[in-house]
This record gives sequence, structure tokens and C-alpha cells, in this order.
Amino acid sequence: MTRRTRAVGALVCALALAAAGCGRDDAGGEAQQGEQVAEGKASGEISVWAMGTEGEKLSTLAEDFMADNPDAKVTVTPVPWDGAHNKIATAIAGGQTPDVSMLGTTWMGEFAKTGALDVVPPDLIDESQFFEGAWQTGVVDETSFGVPWYVETRLLYVNKAVAQKAGVTEAPKTWEDLKAAVTAFKQQGGAEWGIYLQPGQTGAWQTAMPFVWQSGGDVLDGDAFALDRPEVVQGLEYYGSFFSEGLSSKDQLRGGEWEPRFVQGSIGSFVSGPWHIGVLNDLEGEGTYEIWPMPKGPQAATSFIGGSNLAVFKDSDNRDAAWKFVQFLMRPEVQVTWYRTVNDLPAVKSAWDDPALKDDELLSLFGAQLEDAKAPPSIPTWEQVSAAIDGELEKVAKGAASAADAANAMQQKATSIGTGG
Amino acid sequence: MTAVRAAPAVAAGGVRRAPASGRARRALTGWGFALPFAALFLVFTAGPVVASLAMSFTDIRSADLREPLAVEPVGLDNYTRLFGDELFLRAAGNTTIFVVLGVPFTMALALLVAIGVNAGVTRFRTVFRVGYYLPVVTSIVAIAVVWRFLLQPDSGLVNSLLGLIGVDGPKWLDDTSLALPTLIVMAAWRNLGFAMVIFLAGLQAIPQDLYEAARIDGAGRWAQFRYVTLPVLRPTVLFVAVITTIGYVQFFEEPFVMTQGGPLDSTLSAAYHTYNQFGFGNYGYASAMSYVLFLVIVLLSIAWFRLLRSES
Repeated sequence: MTRRTRAVGALVCALALAAAGCGRDDAGGEAQQGEQVAEGKASGEISVWAMGTEGEKLSTLAEDFMADNPDAKVTVTPVPWDGAHNKIATAIAGGQTPDVSMLGTTWMGEFAKTGALDVVPPDLIDESQFFEGAWQTGVVDETSFGVPWYVETRLLYVNKAVAQKAGVTEAPKTWEDLKAAVTAFKQQGGAEWGIYLQPGQTGAWQTAMPFVWQSGGDVLDGDAFALDRPEVVQGLEYYGSFFSEGLSSKDQLRGGEWEPRFVQGSIGSFVSGPWHIGVLNDLEGEGTYEIWPMPKGPQAATSFIGGSNLAVFKDSDNRDAAWKFVQFLMRPEVQVTWYRTVNDLPAVKSAWDDPALKDDELLSLFGAQLEDAKAPPSIPTWEQVSAAIDGELEKVAKGAASAADAANAMQQKATSIGTGG
Repeated sequence: MTAVRAAPAVAAGGVRRAPASGRARRALTGWGFALPFAALFLVFTAGPVVASLAMSFTDIRSADLREPLAVEPVGLDNYTRLFGDELFLRAAGNTTIFVVLGVPFTMALALLVAIGVNAGVTRFRTVFRVGYYLPVVTSIVAIAVVWRFLLQPDSGLVNSLLGLIGVDGPKWLDDTSLALPTLIVMAAWRNLGFAMVIFLAGLQAIPQDLYEAARIDGAGRWAQFRYVTLPVLRPTVLFVAVITTIGYVQFFEEPFVMTQGGPLDSTLSAAYHTYNQFGFGNYGYASAMSYVLFLVIVLLSIAWFRLLRSES
């Protein structure tokens, strides 16, 4: 019996391998154009998946859409963030995708490569409406597979009392100014840590890459990784100097651990996105902090851009209506309504002219930074490459490797992982 | 009914054919009953296992989701690549340390507690039994939150107590040489209850007259333990050793919730690394890792059986 089971196993195995022998067909990297979408109002059923708060609240916008398009029926399914990546991957494997889904910006490369995403129809959605950095997150191999829905970028949060005590009155303009200000926070401002920068581990690249971009480095140069360039080393050195000079904690602080310490003034500053306004206000920190734009490094004052995209699946039975729903969500006035509903920052530039955003002192700073914000390359292997970068960043932060060695190791690891092209 | 009608046929058909057809019929009935289970097993257990084994010989990635058959076979490449993967070797090293230190530590502790609960404590035996078993049934997420509080470098209970006797407590989870030992202690605490309950059952099955005879022969407490308790307990020890080893080789939850594999990969385990590779979409490579882990578990279990097989 065991022998027979084994024989069957071997047979299945051999069959699978024989089938596998057909090999993969390598699609060329040429830019594709999206097909046109039929004119007129949307009709039929449109299923939409969205994560987190967006998933819970999107049905309010869907109702407005259905009021405009009485023949269409939009069903929104909220998906928890934790399981979303797997759920979408499984849906693609099983051919059971929804018509539209929200996708994390760093997933675009991976899902686009499966061939499951529909190309954005240029007649319906105009690229020039969007922030450049945001639009690029949906572009894989020069083809657009997703439309930025909302965005976020990272700025410096500074404790007002600490800054005042340290005698720092205005936002630093250069790297040197920032270092001097953070040093003053620690020495005169009474903060235990002048700044908190994430010392490696998951997602640390979001903190460190802006410094690399500011010094003129980047992840890719054309199709090849460029992580061992001197500009990258310079950025990493600057990041590492905050730890070696004792200005930032070398130990990872968990989310929820450092915000109260920031409000109390034992952490002078940190880098984060717009959601921290809400977090700090919940801790009764309203008015105790200010926000600074990114300082200018040797080359630029670039920050990180994140957010989420919307994509339509090729297997959709109702493609035209799906794209019409996406287009509806990109209307400037709908983007403003959406900001009012869930505080997501609009990806459409003209939405920022609305007084709700324009007159908000803190938010307008984020709006200004979005003009100079960059996303990581949308390659299918990015999650893995970024994990390798995080590992090396931890070594830099903890003094286990020099910036140059870390840059070389990043380049070597990234190259062995490849761009997945 | 069928059986009754078949009976004359048996008589008519001669002695040799009759039992054969009866047996076939019975076999058919048997398979009929087993079919629901067999079908479920083949589709949902054996199928995926065979598929993942096949995957481990290909370069399948998440980009191949829509056409899983359009991948290249790569033979043993995934397996050979593993042993050049710096991070995998690190993870394998960490897992080895965890198993080599953790399994004996957990078992010794569990045996000690079981003997204590069995012999010493009579009044609150149930309270102790439940108490030690509680961590086994508590969610690891809740445990992680509490342990993180206990191990806080500045304000945690552990370091505050150490401070009382003038010791400056270390950063338990942020120190590359302490993080793994800390997780071993935590895992031992968490898994102690299960092993203890099994040991306790084993201890209670030892006949009292054996101890009586040993005492008459002049055996002290240690001699009784060494020459009566341990030999009789051998099958129980084997069972606990195998189960604990299987659990510890797949060491994952503790670093996942406590350290995310850090600091500097000092608590990254083989199972955690495999999980990450699946997350990155390297399905073929991750499957190969799982099979290496599977093989290690099989070999270790065989080793335990050899080592502790009963002498008779």
C-alpha cells in the first residue's frame, strides 16, 4: 500500500514537471495601451474590494455613484489589511477576482506581473491630474495598471516645547541644519532622543530612502540596481549618523510606545505621515507640536510617497462600468468628499484647491511635499528587496556595518533577488 | 439482502470462486464507507502536499499565479540554493540552538513540576495543574503583550525586581545575545503545561509497590527516581520528547509576535524565514525550505525513537 501511494505520488509529480516543461512565455516589456471604454452611463453589477477604513466607508461614495447611474449596482466588500494580499493572490489564482480592488502601492509590480490587471484606459483617466510620484506607483514596465486613489507622504513632527527650549525657531533647510536642530533638542531641549528614526526592521526603508533620494541616489538605474553608488552611501551615512551620535534610539520602539514619549518631550521629533496628526491629537497633543518639511540634502528635498491605488481586473465581467466607477472616485469633488469622510489625502492635484485642505495649516504642508515625493520602483520583487534593505539598515543603525559595506551588501542581495522582469 | 441471495450462488459456483467474490463485495462496501474520508484526504491533504513537493522543484513565483503550470522545472536548484543562503543558514543555526537548549530545558522543567505536583502538593493539586496548563491554552498574542511589558528595559517587572537587588537589568529583547535565550525561557514557560500533564499521567500510572520494594531494598529518593521512576516513565518521555521537538523545530510564533526575527536576525527561525519567503511570493523556494524542515523533523523523531526505544 505504501509502495503504491509512493508510486502515485511520483506519477503526479512527474506529470506536474512534464506540464511545467512547457516553460513560461516571457512577455516583452513594451508599453501597452488600455482599451477604450464605452460612452454613456454605467450599468450592471460592480464588485469592489477595499481594505481598512476605506473598505468600511466606501459604500457611502458608492451610493452617490449609483444615484448618478441608476442601472449600476456597486457592492463593496471590506477586506482586513492583514489578509488582503493573500486574499487577492488567491482570487487571482482561482480566477475569482472582483471587478475593482484597492491595492497597496508596493503590490502593483507583483500583481501586474501575473497578468491579472487591466491596463488603465487613457481616454477615461488623465495622467496629468495626479501627483507624479503617485502616478508612478501604478506604472509597471511603462504601462499603467493602477490609478492612485489617495496618497500620503512623510514629514518631520517636532515637539514645540522642546524646540523652543533648544532655541530652534524655524524649520531646518539643509541636512546640516536638521542635524544641528536635533542635536540641540537633545542637549538643550531636554529630550532623551533628539529624533526617533526607525532602526531597521520591517519598513525602515521608508524612513531611510528619503535620505538616499535627497543625496541623489536611487534604487534602480534603468533596469539595474544602483544601491552601491556613492550617493546611496552618503544617504546611509547621514541616516546612520543619527544613531552613532546618540541622537536616535538604536532599539526598535513599537507603535504606540513612542507617541506618548513624543508628547511628553522625551523624544524631540520623528518622521511620519499625516495619520499621526490624529494619533497625537488623541493623546491630547493637539497644538503641542509642529510639522516641518523635509530638509534639502545635497541634491533634493524628496520625501516618501505612499497610499493606495485602484485597479480593475482583466477577468471582470463588467470592465467598462468598473472603470467608470474608478473615474468617478477620481473626480476632484469626490476626492474632497472622501477626505472629509476618512481623512485620506487626495491623489488628484486640483482637489487640494478646496478650502477644506488649502486652509488647513498642517495639511497644506503635506500637499506641498507631495510635489516632491517619490515611491519605490514598482517591481514584483520589491517586498523582498526592501526586506533585504531593512536588514542592512538595521546593521547601519546598530553600528554592525559601515554605510559603504551596507550599501554593497544591499546591492549584492538586491541583484541576486533580481527585478523579477 | 444481497448477502442472502448471494449465498446459493456460492454453493453453486464451487469452493474456490465463492469467497473471492464475497471478499470483493466486502472490500467494495469497505471502500464505500471509507470513500468520504479518502476523497477529502486526497483532495485537501495529500493533493496540496504533493503539489507543494512538485512546486519545490520549479521556479514558481507569485507572478505565475494565473498559469501555475507555465513554470520552469529547476531540479534540485532550490535545495542547493538554500545552503548558500546566508539568512537561511543563520535561521537554521538559531533553530538548532532553540531546539538543543529548549527541548531538554522544557522537559526537565515539566518533569520537575509534574513530580512536585504529584508528590509534594496534595491540597491545591488542581489549582497548580490548571495554573501550569493555563499558558498552553492562552493566545500567544496576549502572552506576547504581557511578556513585552515584563521585559521592558526601563520599567518592566523583571528589571525592576533585578534593580531591587542592585542588578542593572539588560535589554532582554534588544540585545543580540540575549533575545534568543529569552525566547527559549518564554517558550519553555508556555509549553511546560502540556508536557507536565502528560508526565503527571505517566507518574500516576507507576505502581506504588515498585517504590515500596525499592525502599525495602534501601533505595533513597534519588535512587528511586533514577531506577524506578525514569525507566518506567520511558515511553512517556519518548512521547513528550517527540511532540516537543516537532513543535520546537517549527519555532515561529514567539519571534513573530515578540521580535520580528530581530535584533539583527538573532531570533529569525527557519519556519519564520520560510513564512517570509512565501510572503515574498517565492513559492518554489519556500516549498523547498518547508521540505528541508520536514526532513529534519522526521530524522529527529527517528533519533528519539532509537534513543528511547524500550529495552525489552
